[in-house]
Amino acid sequence: MLLEVRHLSKHYGNVLAVEDVSFGIEPGEILGLLGPNGAGKTTTIHMLLGLITPSAGEVRVFGRSFADHREEILQQMNFSSPYVSLPLRLTVMENLGVFARLYNVAEPRRRIGEMLELFGVKHLSDKPISRLSSGENTRVGLCKAMLNRPRLLLLDEPTAYLDPEIAWQVKQVLLAAQREFGTTILYTSHNMPEVERMCSRIVFMHHGRVIAQGSPIEITRAILKEERSEPALEEVFLRVVRLQEAS
Amino acid sequence: MKVYRVKAVMLRHAYEVRRNIDRVTDMVYWPVLDTIVWGFFTIYLAHGGRSGGGLAGLLLGAAILWGMFYAFQRDMAVGFLDELWSRNLINLFSTPLGVWEYLCGLIVVNLFKVGAGAACAGLVAWVCYAFNIFPRLPQFVPFIFNLMLFGLALGVFTSGLIFRYATRVQALAWSFAGLLMPVSCVFYPPSTLPRPLRAIAWILPTTHAFEGMRQVLAGGGFSAARFWQALGLNAIYFALATVFFRWIFESARSRGLLVKLE
Repeated sequence: MLLEVRHLSKHYGNVLAVEDVSFGIEPGEILGLLGPNGAGKTTTIHMLLGLITPSAGEVRVFGRSFADHREEILQQMNFSSPYVSLPLRLTVMENLGVFARLYNVAEPRRRIGEMLELFGVKHLSDKPISRLSSGENTRVGLCKAMLNRPRLLLLDEPTAYLDPEIAWQVKQVLLAAQREFGTTILYTSHNMPEVERMCSRIVFMHHGRVIAQGSPIEITRAILKEERSEPALEEVFLRVVRLQEAS
Repeated sequence: MKVYRVKAVMLRHAYEVRRNIDRVTDMVYWPVLDTIVWGFFTIYLAHGGRSGGGLAGLLLGAAILWGMFYAFQRDMAVGFLDELWSRNLINLFSTPLGVWEYLCGLIVVNLFKVGAGAACAGLVAWVCYAFNIFPRLPQFVPFIFNLMLFGLALGVFTSGLIFRYATRVQALAWSFAGLLMPVSCVFYPPSTLPRPLRAIAWILPTTHAFEGMRQVLAGGGFSAARFWQALGLNAIYFALATVFFRWIFESARSRGLLVKLE
């Protein structure tokens, strides 16, 4: 396993954010982490990045305990979310230059140029972040996430704010990274058809717990409790949310 | 003009004062602080403090050194606030960057910034007011070093508070050093203060640094005692500030505050 999450929990006083979550990712796999808002996906990702200390459980990455090897693990990981930002007054090039140095990337200018080209934002390199649209910001965040050629990539809704054409291009880049470099990806999204296409396996969370994990078709059958020949994650999602509302 | 619309604007800003501690700081803190500092200075003059050319040099020298101390404390906290305002903390701390590496980077860049600011202030004092601080620099450097250390300790402490309470306490970045100004005896000797405040003054490295500066300006030479006392106090404050910061950083991670700061 490239990533192993064992009995991970996070409580804030009496409030349960994540409870006894366990899953793993094989090298080169794209795993979808799904669930309604408040299910505990983002808290789980933040614990995987060491931004939140777990109340219990263990995270092992590349066969090592995250708690004991934070620095060397994060050197080979990266993260992107459209909900975080880069310093607004700095240009795209300046921001990426800072992160290239944080990861000690060799030939940083060349690598940054490659990433800007890959995500179709090379023309923005001298623009301050404050002047970018949400979609451009998301793509610059993805450039940052790929700078250090991560072995493990955590992507929180990577296609949010992107129009369908750009979203398609971004997904192609991610699939190419997986295919050519064996990049392992943990992927969250509220776009269920996208998850069905991108992810070979899914961990479905609800109220801080894992309620099902497996391939999209296995998840569909487990939650809808019906025999299906095609995955239907959208229906699964709606069923879970409606059950939540009913309870 | 409609009175009810004017009232609506008044109400909007009254709510702001109630909800935003920054506005209260601007409204009350600075006027009170200025009154206290210049009140003590007036007492100093009234009790036969020095006057004339010596006084001008003392005031300008103190203003430049205080400016350095204040800028260092402020820039440490504002540097951290910059990350908060731009929602960049998650990006930064999801890299291999350690919190002490972050602080070291901030300290080095602030040393350059404060040095540049102080050089500009020194030049203005020289060109406009014929007060040349540069020949005295070798004797001032040990005190400047102590002021920097104390500014750093306060900056680390303030950053810790911002980690815990986020932008609700951001006014501390600009106001915390000011709180110490009356008892740091920047423009007057500690004997000017009432006795209980004198006791507080002597446990501040700033008081020793400004006393040392006044001794240099009065032609009394460099005071090693003032330097070592300030350094000893700084060692204590710096150790306390780093312990506090480490504790609050770990507590922020444990309570999930690092990802919720805004």
